[in-house]
Parts: sequence; structure tokens; C-alpha cells
Amino acid sequence: MSDEPTTLKMVEGAPVPMGPGTESDLSLPALPAGTEMVNVIIDGRAHQVAKGANLLEACNSAGANVPYFCYHPGLSSPAVCRQCLVDVKGQPKPVPSCYTPCTDKMEVTTASPRVLDIRRQMLEFTLLNHPIDCPICDKAGECSLQQHYFDWDAKFARNDGVKVEKAKAVDIGKHIVLDQERCILCSRCIRVCAEVAKQPELTMAMRGDHEVLTTAPGRRLDNPYSLNTVDVCPVGALTSKDFRFASRVWELTSTPSVCPGCSTGCNIEVHTGKEEVKRLVPRPNDKVNKYWMCDEGRFTYKRTQTDRLGVPFVDGVPTEWDAALDQAKARLQSVLDKNPGAVGVVFSAQSTNEDLYVAAQLAFDHLGLKRAYLAGRDQGWHDDILVSADRNPNTAGAIAIGGGRLKSLIDLSQDLKKGELKALLVIGEDGVLAGDAGSAALPLQGLEALVVLAWCRDSLVDSAHVALPLAAWTEVDGTFTNKQGFVQRVRPAAPAAGDSLPTWEVLGHLGRRLGLAKDFTSARSVFLEAKQKLAYMKDADWGKTSLPVHLRFANSRG
Amino acid sequence: MAKIILERLAAAFTGGEIEQIGTQHGNEWARVRRADWKRVAQFLRDDPTTKMDFASDLTAVDRLTREPRFDVVLHLYSTVKKHRVRLYAGVPEGDCTLDTVVDVWPGMNWFEREAYDLYGVRFTGHPDLRRILMYTEFVGHPLRKDYPKEKRQPLVRRSGLPGTLE
Amino acid sequence: METSLTSRRLVLGVQEPEDLDGPDLPTEPMPLNMGPAHPAMHGTVRMVLDVEGEKITNADIQVGYLHRCFEKESEYATYTQIFPYTDRLNYVSPMLNNVGYAMAVEKLLGICEKVPERAQYIRVIVGEMSRITDHMTCLGAGAMELGAFTVFLYMLKAREWLYELLEEVSGARLTHSYLRIGGVSADLPDGFAGKLLARIAEIREVLKDVSKLLDTNRIFRDRMDGIAIITKSEAIAWGLTGPMGRSTGFEYDVRKDHPYLVYDRFDFDVPVGSVGDNFDRYMVRVEEMHQSMRIIEQALATIPDGPVIMNDPRIALPPKAETYNSIEAMIAHFKLIMDGIHVPPGEIYSFTEGGNGELGFYIVSDGTGRPWKCRVRPPCFANISILNHILKGLFIADIVPTFGMANMIGGECDR
Repeated sequence: MSDEPTTLKMVEGAPVPMGPGTESDLSLPALPAGTEMVNVIIDGRAHQVAKGANLLEACNSAGANVPYFCYHPGLSSPAVCRQCLVDVKGQPKPVPSCYTPCTDKMEVTTASPRVLDIRRQMLEFTLLNHPIDCPICDKAGECSLQQHYFDWDAKFARNDGVKVEKAKAVDIGKHIVLDQERCILCSRCIRVCAEVAKQPELTMAMRGDHEVLTTAPGRRLDNPYSLNTVDVCPVGALTSKDFRFASRVWELTSTPSVCPGCSTGCNIEVHTGKEEVKRLVPRPNDKVNKYWMCDEGRFTYKRTQTDRLGVPFVDGVPTEWDAALDQAKARLQSVLDKNPGAVGVVFSAQSTNEDLYVAAQLAFDHLGLKRAYLAGRDQGWHDDILVSADRNPNTAGAIAIGGGRLKSLIDLSQDLKKGELKALLVIGEDGVLAGDAGSAALPLQGLEALVVLAWCRDSLVDSAHVALPLAAWTEVDGTFTNKQGFVQRVRPAAPAAGDSLPTWEVLGHLGRRLGLAKDFTSARSVFLEAKQKLAYMKDADWGKTSLPVHLRFANSRG
Repeated sequence: MAKIILERLAAAFTGGEIEQIGTQHGNEWARVRRADWKRVAQFLRDDPTTKMDFASDLTAVDRLTREPRFDVVLHLYSTVKKHRVRLYAGVPEGDCTLDTVVDVWPGMNWFEREAYDLYGVRFTGHPDLRRILMYTEFVGHPLRKDYPKEKRQPLVRRSGLPGTLE
Repeated sequence: METSLTSRRLVLGVQEPEDLDGPDLPTEPMPLNMGPAHPAMHGTVRMVLDVEGEKITNADIQVGYLHRCFEKESEYATYTQIFPYTDRLNYVSPMLNNVGYAMAVEKLLGICEKVPERAQYIRVIVGEMSRITDHMTCLGAGAMELGAFTVFLYMLKAREWLYELLEEVSGARLTHSYLRIGGVSADLPDGFAGKLLARIAEIREVLKDVSKLLDTNRIFRDRMDGIAIITKSEAIAWGLTGPMGRSTGFEYDVRKDHPYLVYDRFDFDVPVGSVGDNFDRYMVRVEEMHQSMRIIEQALATIPDGPVIMNDPRIALPPKAETYNSIEAMIAHFKLIMDGIHVPPGEIYSFTEGGNGELGFYIVSDGTGRPWKCRVRPPCFANISILNHILKGLFIADIVPTFGMANMIGGECDR
């Protein structure tokens, strides 16, 4: 209760501002300390921006919604589309805001009648030769052209409708199909190939209204980052062969997650439609992957949809969970009773930190096993852009949790040959131990108890005594640690395949039967416990609970 | 169309009971502090300048990502002065309660029951706070944004609840 | 007339019934369940009554049997897709729901003045036709429950004439979805005015016949007079509007007090009751039908020519010839259907006179093409809530005319 009367100001508008840009938890990255700030007046209101900041970004952060096609925050700015023209006081002509750095006391008008008219005219030019493909174009629903037309140009066509004809549905690369008529010549894709992938495979040819996008002579669009051009293309000129006609965008739900393809851990969005993952797209993260991801990473979701182990198996016979867990316990217990030193456990660098934490609790703290190994996919090619040689998402986490006790698969192979192992508990199998990746299979015939927790069915699962199905990375809550040491969250985007369960949950059930008197209630509770005990996780953040975003409420991306 | 109501509220309540006032599309609205909900309601009904003797509608809005999560919205009308106002009270998810206005306008009885049924806001002092549109055994509050639209909840009979047999 | 005086005294609390009728029969309290499936229960509604003999000591009306999640579905549908849902609210006067909803969204968009004049006149005409059908259904069904089956058939015959005409206009008898944001979806068919005027003359004859059958009918009057009296202050306190509110003397009609569309151009009266009993509610509805016909005649005489929907590709679908031949119209068509009309963020409470009273739409928009919240303020929800209070002290037989004249439409009450 204050003593003086509070003067209430009349608000013009709704009590709770809603709409784009009003989310209260919109967090922009903090500017480095010591950045010089300047005052810029945008549409009559003063804003503080960093000196030299991009005027387009400044206007849009202020809510001006200036449209643009060729600009992209992760690429150089050529100012070719002329869609972002705004009026700056003192300049005779309107300036392209994407190419203008902010200076002190700059006065910008983003919606004067002249600017609005220019904006509308630019859109009219762009649409002049645009084919009427919306019903069959994949980009419909997330198309910048549709969005900007609807926002800034709501007029009907003035021309006679005869349009220039160019090539349609041209196969220009391993993953990409080009439609030259839809292309609005913004050159974003050319810059992605040149600046991000460092392989300039695309170029413009011809001129005037016959100008087309095409591959450079003698080349195809084959660089390992080619699918980023599909993301940045504002229209449906470049489409992914994998996603072509697979789903309409507004039927998809977006869940933020992390790519498990390699230890870079690019941040991604998993787009699911009808409870199936349809595609992966990159999510901006300044420290890890900027705005990009590699093509191989985009297809990692396919592994979660083929050959999944859906039910527990005991000696090749599908069984109920309880019976299978009892059998697993019985087999392991019989070897533990006779010869505890002959029981081995294999961790996987593809498991989440939570899975590994529970596994370590069970294997080391409770069962006191001495023979532990780390399995992971083989190394692959790498470059200095995004792809790491280590093709496992959580090697850092596995090594940290293992605490130096984990030996390699070569040691496992030798121990098996020497006959020193009688029981093996494999936590997380995906073709690695089965030798599907090309390396020789392990000699597992002498084992009395082989309990395999696997995501997919392979020869190892078929030969296991007890096989328990695991939910894949698109179906669980958890965290991966990338090679930089960042602990990043994965979220469930699709329902678990068959009857599979998350690894930590399966280990919890198995552990209880083996006498581990502990309850693991959720991935989050495991995370919080691990965060307290493990040094490398002490700065990790579980993140907020959020509802999956229906893409049908979103406008165009990028 | 009814700025006089807002002026009167601002003049009569100076201790922070009225958190915000505004107008949009010709609708005047005021945000009331949760603890003072009934006092402000009674004032609006009895004050000769405002004379809001008719309550049109009471409902709730789920703001989801904001604090407080729910807004209880009350629409008032004066049959004498012919002006309207909308009142908001922010109700947090953790302590989802608000005073009832049934003793100020008896017609709000069923409207508050509906807000309880569909959003889970409990109105303290309501004479008969039970579900009205959903069946008694229903679990959850369906109009909340995190209740999935396609979720099916077949009726499972339970006894001992008000309104059920036995 | 003696019995009606008795019942009047009973409800007005003047004399105790024992003095008039002889020794009291011994009774014990009994719970009685009426509904949800009951021939006299309009829509599906359940009444749990505690009765002593024939007298009701406690009434608990349980609604919700026709709840079809209008609000939840609206949150996932574009603004245009909500029109079919609004049809099914008060399903005997669907055009009035369409009108109320369209006006609410147009207010949020700020385009109320840009809706073409012809469209506004058409909205008034079809709205009033729907009001007449609403009252005909209510009175016809109400009279049938009291035994006047002929009246029911006469009213339904007249109602069917109007439904035929509405079917010519919109394509469906009941679920019109005729309005669009920014106008109406199609113009009136040729010859409509002539046909409607002819039918209005015939409806007046029907109403004359019904009047002769009911107005001075002893059975009807005995069962309706003095039953379930509601006072004006009760009506205001309980939020009653529409014919139920006006029968008590509470003269509130949105068309007169806060005119919308072009109602202020027409000359019509608002019937207001004085006693507030069932018979007043009956008479108010009959008079309202006559007034609605007056409005329709005036509107048909003065309706201007012109377009029937706005010509803005951000609001209304472009013509098909444009859509298939130009990319601009294709994009507009695409965005309007898939994304929905982008309504600027904001909140509005818009109210019109529905068949049963103040039909309010409270819409919260978050800037996208789908509403964040689309709430209906159902007039009969408030109208029925007072019955818990009013039915106490009445006889079981009085429930039928009271409930009939309250005109509970399940679709509107439960949504």
C-alpha cells in the first residue's frame, strides 16, 4: 500500500500483449562487454543498438517487420532483392537496411507511404514471373514470398499473366531438386555454397527476366552441406528430395533437439507429422553450429525408423517386459554368483548422459564390475566446418562418467578371445558390436549370458539371450555432451517405437531386480542428480518445459 | 465508451488495487489485484456513477507462458448508464483461487462453475462449486492450453462424488 | 379461472394452499430425475428434483450433455472455419450466431465500416428470419407440451417456409455458414424479396390462427398465467436478457440500446412484459415475431445494390478467375485458407441480440490466423441458471411450460 496515489496511465491496446515478438522469455545473446552503443530512432522511438549493427536487424528487433529475401544473418549481405528498403533521414534515396550499419542519431522510417509503396512495387516485380505453383510447392506454408505478399502487398495482378518459362524439377544434386521458375534470384544458396560449404557449385546464368539459377559448368550440387540451401531458400525453388511431397508444413510439429550424427552436436529441430519424424532442420546456435548442419546429420532420423527392436526377446522369442527382465536378471545373476570378475559391461557413446549415469550407478557402484568397455560408431571423415571425425554424440559424456575405467572395443575383442568374459551386458547397441559397420564382428559365442539393450535389430540382438528394446534419441528426454563440452538437451518428438523404453528406465527396472534399491522417476530427476555429482555437468541446464510448436502457426523460417 | 468508469476506479482505489487500465477497440478494461477483486466488484455495482448492476459474462483465459497464468475476465454492464467495462484478475497456476462474485451478482453462479470446470480456477465462497459441463468423474481441466484436443477420456464411473449415484 | 388465481396466490405467497383445498395429504420428500432423455426436455438437460408430493422443494438443473467443445475447437480452427461451429450454437437461429461472430472478428480487424452496405442489410434480413424461426420453434414446442399439438404443426409449417427461403440463400436449412468475415458469402437469389414478402403475409395469417387458439384458451392460460414469476430486479441480478428478461419489465434489447449493422434505420418496437410469468414470455415472443417481420419488410424495401463482401485479398477470398490465373490471388487464397485471416493481436467483447438474448463473443487474438480464445456468452446459460431458484415451490407440471418458455437450446447452453 503506497501513501501517494498511483497515477494510472491509460493503455491503448490489450492488457496482455500477444503476437510475434512479445514473448517475455525472448532471450537475445548478450553483447560482449564494452560494445559501443548508439542511439537509433526507428519510427519515432529511440533504441539503443550496438554501433555498426545491421539496420535491418535493429528495425526488426524493434518490431518493424521489415521484409527481406536475400539477407541472412549467417551470410554476407549483397542487397540484391531491394525488399528491405527503408527511409533514412538525410539520404535522398531509400537505403537497403540489410547493407546499412547503424550510426549514432540515425533516423529511420520503416512505414512511410513512400517506403510502403516501394515495398509493394518490389513484391509486384518479384511476383511478375512467379509460377502459380502454391498448391504443389513444398514451401507453401513457410514461404517468405507468401508471407510478405500477405503482409505488405495485398493487390491483385496488373499484368496479363503470361510468364517466362524456365526449367522445372531439375535434378541438380544428390539431394536437391531445382525449380528455376520459382527462383526469385536472391542468391542465398550461392552464398551458402561459397561461404559456408566453401565449394561454390551454384551460380546465376543469363540476364534480364531470363536469369536463372544453375550449377557451375561441369559441377553438381554435391557438397556435404547442400541441404542448407533448401533451408535458406525463401521460396520453393530448391527442394529436398527426401522431403519432397512428404508432408505439408502446417501438419508438422517442431521439437528442439540435438543431432546425434557426430560429436559436434548441431542444434536441430525435429519436425514430426502424424507421429513420425519427417525431417530435421538446423536451429541457430552461435557457439555450436551457427545456422547450419551437414547433410549426413539430416538423415540420422532414418535410423530410428528402420529395423527397430520393438519388443523384448528372450532366446529369440518375443516376451513381455517383466518376464524378459526377470530372465535378464537370472542369467546375469548366475554368472555374478560364480565368477563376478567375468562379467563385462559395454557402454555406448550414443547414449544420453542420463542413461550413462544410471548405467554407471548399476555397473560400478552397485555390481562393482571391473570390466567395462566403451562402444561407439567408427570414426569418419571430417572437415573444419561442422563435421567431426567422431561419429558419436556423447563420447565426452561417456568418458567423463566412465571415469577412466572404460576400455576400448579392441580390448573387448581380446578379452573375449582369451575367454575371460562369461557374461556381457551391452547398454545401447546399434549395429556397432554386430559389426554391421564393416568392422569384424566380435567373438561372442563363449558367453553364458548375453544381455543386450538395443535400439535396432541386428545380428547381435538375434544372437542375444535377452534383448531389451530402447527408445531412440527422437523419443526420449536427455542430454548429450558435445566435443566442446556443452551439455545439450534432446527432447521427445515422436512416440516410442513398439514397447521400447528409455535406457535409464530399463536399467532402473533391471537394477531393482539386481538389488539396486533406488528409484529413477524421470529423466529430469536423473539429470539433476547427475548434475550434482559430475563436475562436467555442473553448468548444464535442463531447459524449460514447453509445448511442441505446431508449425502451422509459424510463418516462414529464415 | 466508458472512460468514466476507469476514471472513477482510478479515483476511488489509490492503493494499487487497480493495476492497469486501458481501452481497445472501444472496450474499456481494468486489471484488478487479485486480493481486491470482490471489493472492486461491489464498488462498481453500488457506486452511483458506475452502477454496474448487470454482469454479462465471467470466464478465464489461459495465457500459458506468462505469469500469472490465468486471467479471470468479468464483463459488466450498467442498465442505467448503458456503459460497459471488462475486469481482469491475474490468477497464478500454483494458487488457482479467486473470490467469488456470486453474492454481488447471483447470475454469475453458473459462469463461475464453468470457469472452474474448464480452467480449474476455484472461487472461494461459491455456494456450489462443482463441474457443470463436463461429467463429474472427468479428470483435468480441458480448456487449459496443455490439455491436448485429441485426448480421449472415456467415462469411468466412480461413486462418492457429488452429483453421482450412491 | 379460479385455479389460476389459486396458483397466482401460491406463487405470490398470499395464502397457504391448505386453506383452500382441504386436508393435506401426507407426503415424504422424494428425489425425482427428469432427463436427460425426456420428451419435454428441450435439448438434453437433466433435472434432479426433490419433490414433496407434487411440489418441488429443490431443483438442480444439470446441463452439459450437449457440450461439443466449441471453444477448444475454435482455438485450432481459422476464423473462417469457426463459422460452421457458430451455426451449431443456437441451432434454431443460426444466422444470428453467424452475425454475432462475424461482427466480433470485424471489430478486431477494424473493418466494421468497410463491410458493404448491401451485406449489412442482408445480414439484418436473414438475422430477423432466424429470429422468427427461433421463436416459432420455442412457441410451437412449448404449446405442444401443453397439449396444443395443432399449434405445433402450424408453427412448424410456417417455420419450414422460412427454412426453404434460407436454404435458397445459403444452401442449407439449418447449418448455413452463410456469413464471412467482411460480408456474406453470396448474394440473395433472384426473386427472393418477392417470395419472402409473400411468405410474411402468410406467416401473419398463421400467427393470427395461433393467437385464436391460445391467447384466451383456458387450459393454456391456467398453465401459463402467474407461473414462475421473475421480477425485474431479479432479472438484472441474474443476467437475464432476451424475451425472458424483457418479460419481467427489463427493457434491454441490444438492437435498440446499442444499435449495430443498420438496425438504427428501421422503425420497430421492443415488446416488454409486466408480470414476468410464463404467459408474458409467450406474448413477448409473439410480438417480437411481428416486429421482426416489420424490420424485414423495411429492409427489403430499402436494400441498396452493390457488392456483398469486401474486396480486400487479406480478408475475403479473391474471385476464382483471379485465383487460377494470377500468383497474387493464388497466394492470397492460399494464405487465407491455410493460415487464416491475420487478425491483429487484441481482445474484444462484441454483443448482438440473439434469439434468446445478449449473445456475446469474447475473442482473444494473438496475431495469427487462429484465435487464442473464442468464447461465446450464451444467453440461455444465464436464463436457465435462474430456474434452479425459480422452480422451488412450483409443481412438477409447471416445469413444462416454464422450461418451454425459457427456451433452452442445448447447443447454445452447453456449446
